[in-house]
Amino acid sequence: MPRGARTDSRADTAIAIACAALSFLLLILPAGPRATIAATIRSSLVSPLATLQQRASLARRAFVEHDSLVRVADSVVMRSQRLDAVEAENGRLRGLLGLGRALRTGFIPAEALVGRGMGDDFTLVLSVGSRAGVERLSAVVAADGLVGIVETVDATTSVVITWPHPDFRVSATSADGSAFGIVSAHQAPGAEGYLLELRGVPYRTPLRAGTPIIASGLGGVFPRGILIGTVMQELATTAGWTRTYLVRPAVRPPDVTSVLILSPERNADGLDGIWPIGTDSARKVP
Amino acid sequence: MNARTTGIVAVVLGLVALHYTLRPILDWRAGIDFLVVAVLVVAVRVRPGTAAAAGFLIGLVADALTPEAFGAGALAGTMVGYAASRLKSAFFVDDVRLNAIFVFVGKMAFDVVFLLAERRLTGAPLLAQLFVWTPLAALVTAAVGLVVMALVRPTLERRRA
Repeated sequence: MPRGARTDSRADTAIAIACAALSFLLLILPAGPRATIAATIRSSLVSPLATLQQRASLARRAFVEHDSLVRVADSVVMRSQRLDAVEAENGRLRGLLGLGRALRTGFIPAEALVGRGMGDDFTLVLSVGSRAGVERLSAVVAADGLVGIVETVDATTSVVITWPHPDFRVSATSADGSAFGIVSAHQAPGAEGYLLELRGVPYRTPLRAGTPIIASGLGGVFPRGILIGTVMQELATTAGWTRTYLVRPAVRPPDVTSVLILSPERNADGLDGIWPIGTDSARKVP
Repeated sequence: MNARTTGIVAVVLGLVALHYTLRPILDWRAGIDFLVVAVLVVAVRVRPGTAAAAGFLIGLVADALTPEAFGAGALAGTMVGYAASRLKSAFFVDDVRLNAIFVFVGKMAFDVVFLLAERRLTGAPLLAQLFVWTPLAALVTAAVGLVVMALVRPTLERRRA
């Protein structure tokens, strides 16, 4: 072996032995100095690597937990949506309980059977029939107001036509009794089909938007005082000396789950004051 | 610093960066040891003394982040670097199988020295680590080491030429 190569080889061995000795020294150092040296290296040379490692670990954790977090978020959203429905249902039932307490007698509580098919937008099937005392042409109300009228009665069920039905009519008046007319479904395509019309209001008694409209009690089918809806605006019609108003219904048929069927005997008494209608909201144009 | 040295330093820094980014993301029980690959990449291109020093420094970097075994990684790096550099004439040929064995043995040797030096594991856990997890990690590291060597060899050889 040439002399230069032998010298290089000795130098390599010496460096390796020095490094190994230094490593041994680090291994046998007491814990305190070892920790100090390690901390010094970590906070200087290795600091960027420690940051990289930490971020990579966080990235992995985020990646691994992503699916479970999405599942948790979905569950929370689903529960909150269900909670909204339960709260709404709770509110309706509380309202119905309050209505039943206010009516005291002369009504039959019933459940609207869910799962109605398409094409049944204008009718409701109720869970009670003639055995429970339901009679044809009885008024059907919910906590918010008028729902419809019983069309047919079976032994254990009955069918109600709701206010959007084309044949539905109710004699109505403004809450202050100044204007009378006939309420029927507003025959219009789309969402406007779920509004009502108040027809035949005398020309001399115009109504403002927001005026409550209640059943007048005329005709003997609907007792006076059932809330029907509130006036939205006047419709331009070709009728001579009468006005027609668009009315926002008090009850949305899709929301109806529990109702009260009023017995015909109740019609004579009327239902004034059962639904909270502010007298100041029943306004007439001065 | 000439172009070849710059190339080697760049490759080593890249591997060290991978060790602290890709490895924690993969989080395999038998993980890829990019630091051993880095030591071997250096060892086959420099003198044994330089390889030992490089192994010492790379091991010290690893030790700084695992203070309980402070010094064990430096010792293992020193020994593997020096030995690999001494044996490079036998292994560093254009033979894929020999290169794979080179990385596999390098990783095995590193882990053996490291585990014995740190004295944290004893008995069955030490045997399980030495005979199950270390060989698996060595296999994975060998596979990655082959890819790395195949990628960096043309660049480093061209710079040497």
